[in-house]
Order: sequence, then C-alpha cells, then structure tokens
Amino acid sequence: MAAVTWDMAPARAPTPIPAPAPAPAPTPTPTPAPAPAPAPTPAPAPAPTPAPAPTRELELTPASAWSQGGGGSYGDVSVPTLLRLRDRMKEQLAEYETAILAGQENLFGHGIEENFIQSATQDLERDIEEAKVSFQNKMLALQRIQIMDALRNKFKQDDEDSRMILETMKHIVLLSRTIIDYQQQVHQKEEQLINLKRERLSLKKRGGEKLQQIPTMMKRQKEKQASVNVIETEKMLKKLEKERQIITIIKNVFQNVIIGSRVNWAEDTSLKAIVLQLEKNVHFQ
Amino acid sequence: MAVLRPFDKLPKLNSGVLLFVGSDEELQRRLAETILQEKKDFNINIHLATSLPLPSERDHLRPRIDLVVFMIDIKSKYSLKNVETSLAYVDASYFLGKVCFLVTGVGRKNDCSIETNAVCKLGEAYCSPVLFCELELEGVRVATAQRLVRMLGICAGHIPGVSALSFVSLMRKSNDD
Repeated sequence: MAAVTWDMAPARAPTPIPAPAPAPAPTPTPTPAPAPAPAPTPAPAPAPTPAPAPTRELELTPASAWSQGGGGSYGDVSVPTLLRLRDRMKEQLAEYETAILAGQENLFGHGIEENFIQSATQDLERDIEEAKVSFQNKMLALQRIQIMDALRNKFKQDDEDSRMILETMKHIVLLSRTIIDYQQQVHQKEEQLINLKRERLSLKKRGGEKLQQIPTMMKRQKEKQASVNVIETEKMLKKLEKERQIITIIKNVFQNVIIGSRVNWAEDTSLKAIVLQLEKNVHFQ
Repeated sequence: MAVLRPFDKLPKLNSGVLLFVGSDEELQRRLAETILQEKKDFNINIHLATSLPLPSERDHLRPRIDLVVFMIDIKSKYSLKNVETSLAYVDASYFLGKVCFLVTGVGRKNDCSIETNAVCKLGEAYCSPVLFCELELEGVRVATAQRLVRMLGICAGHIPGVSALSFVSLMRKSNDD
C-alpha cells in the first residue's frame, strides 16, 4: 500500500561519484559533493564519532491517501471537501501572515532589552491563562444552561421519569433549606463565640492595665508618706527649737535672778548644783 | 540553504510533510509505515533522514516541511549527540511548535544510557514537546502514529483555529505563577 520512493537512486546512477576526500563513507552518498561549499562539515567529516552514517534522505508517500480510492488525489470535488480545503488554506494563510509579522518586528529588535521581552511574555502568558479560565467558565455555564433546558423539556413530557425527577428536586430543595438553617445557626453561634472572646480580651486588657497601675500607685503613696514624714519632722524640729529657746530664756532669767540676789551660791551645794546645771548648754551642737 | 526554514516554500494543497531525524533507520521506517496506515483525510509525505543538514541537491524537489520529529534512542548516547548537532540546522521559527522530540526504547529501563532528565531539559530549552514511546510494541507504535498524525495536521494548518503555537502554550507549567 505504501510506495517507497528512493530519492537518491535515480539521481546517483547517471552521475559518477567524484569520491571526494571528505567522504569516507560508501559511494551512494548524496553528501555535498561540492566540498568547498560553505556548508560546515556535518556528520561525515568528524572521524572520531562511531562511523557516522551519511546524511541520507528518503521519502515515503502513500499511493492513495483518500479512502475513496479511485483516480487521483484531487478527484474528489464535492462541496464539503472544497469547504474543508478552503478552511485549511485560510488557516495556512493566517500562519504565513503571522510569520511575516514576526519577521517584520525583528527590525526594531536592537533597542529592545531582555527585560522588556520577559515582561511582555509574562503579560501574554497571563492573558492566555485568563482566556483559558474564562473559556472554561463559559463552557461550564453553557453546559449548565443546556442541562436545565433538557430538564425543562423532560418535565413537559410529564411521565414517570419526570415525576421522579420532580420528587428528587423537591427533596433536594428541602435538604438545601435545612442546610441553610443549620448554617445560619452555626453563624449565630460563631458570632456569640466571637463576642465572648472579644469581651474576654478586653477584660484581660483592663486587668493588665490595673496591674500596671498598682506599682505606680504604691510608689505615689510612699512618696506622700515620705513627704508627710518630712513635714512632721520639720514641725517637731521647730517646736523643739522653740522649747529650747524658751528654756534658754528661763535659764538666763533664773541665773540673773540668783546673781542679782547677791546670794553666795558657791557655799550651798544644792544651789551650786542648780547654777551649774543652768550653765549647761541646751543646744547639743 | 543548509538551514531548514518553515515558511520558505508554499504548502501543497491538502498535504502534510513530516521529517524524521534520527540515527536508527529501521525504526524510522517502521514508524513511517504505521503512520501511513492510519486513517486520515490529507496526504502525508514522510521524509527520513539520519542527520541534518539535508543534502542540498534535492532542495527544489522537497516540499515545505511541517513537522520535524527528532528521534532519540534511550539506549544510545550517539543518537542524542546526533540530534543535538542537527538542531543547529533548524531555523528558530521551527521551534514554535513544529518540532517534536520522540524518545524511543523506553520499554527497557535497565538499558538506559541517557537520562530522561537530560531529554526533558532539552525539550524545555527548545520549547518543544517530548514524547516517550516504545516502538517495538504494536499498540504503542499505533498510538504514537496517531498522535503524530494529529500533530502533523495541526502543524500543517489543517485545523482551523488551532495553530502550532498552541503546543508551546500547552507546555507551560501551571506552577510558574
């Protein structure tokens, strides 16, 4: 069924192989006989590689690709085939146009940095992803609409199956409603829980603040007491000073009374003791 | 002239051209015959070559090549080197989806000379899909032939709305963002 056409056999037979030096392989080789050709020496030249097979090319073509068989590949000119051919040619035309566009854009390639290209590719990839996602969503929506339409049509028939479907749907609705109720309850309980937690947190904060205030207040109290003590001691010192002065005055008065009375106090022991005591200085310092 | 360019020539009406590049000719021929036995609605021409560049004497006879399949045998390091050297003779615009790497011989795990990691890196570096297959098994060969026929149809521009560029975007890993 497959006709194998050997490309090189007819080409080789008439022309004698010049057997140039660079071709160590056997003669039926279409390796570029023009050795001075600019083509860099490909497979045959590097000797160290394990006997590189020369670049041979052969072509396989089926005798007939059309399932209809018969004569010629283009014998079939029915309308669908022509339309298909037209679509294919349109697609190939679009490919060539894209290739041309791509070729043109390279003219400005000197000033474009790699970053720009990278960011451009990232943007494009992102757009592709978004397009894919939106396409999938739309397909999903479309399929849902189709299912609903099919269901509606089925209901219109109103037979055994549709009644069962109706029962199932009512059951589904009931279950969904109970689910919604339970979810609402769960929601409420969660809110209560959150409120409790919030209050506990505020209480904790306040407790912490109070604890912090305690040492400051104690400090203040101590300072007040200290200051009070200081004030009291000062008062007492003043009183003491006053008393001392009074005592000193009284002493001086007694002394002057005794001296003024011209009594010989040195003879009487008790009087002597009194006078000497009066001499004692009241101030300690 | 030695470099393959995708848009140098006009395409033939309703046909696709496949080029196999690989060091194992027998395997190429068998896969080519399996492909030709597939049911399809356009002409398929298959060119087999052991390495690039293709001989330039037949340039004017050769049609526009739509899909280049590089065949790598997992048991031979030489095939990988051969493919790597041949990659230099393919124009950059081919790598927008018109190139595919086919790794054969994956049925036997204990005979591997090249690592799959290296091949996958090659595929990523050149933005081309990498297919793994075992051509000795009939079923896998037929499946691979079907895949290649589909890819050829897309690369030749037969499917409206799908171009070879979609292979590049399909290969984008989703964990890149």
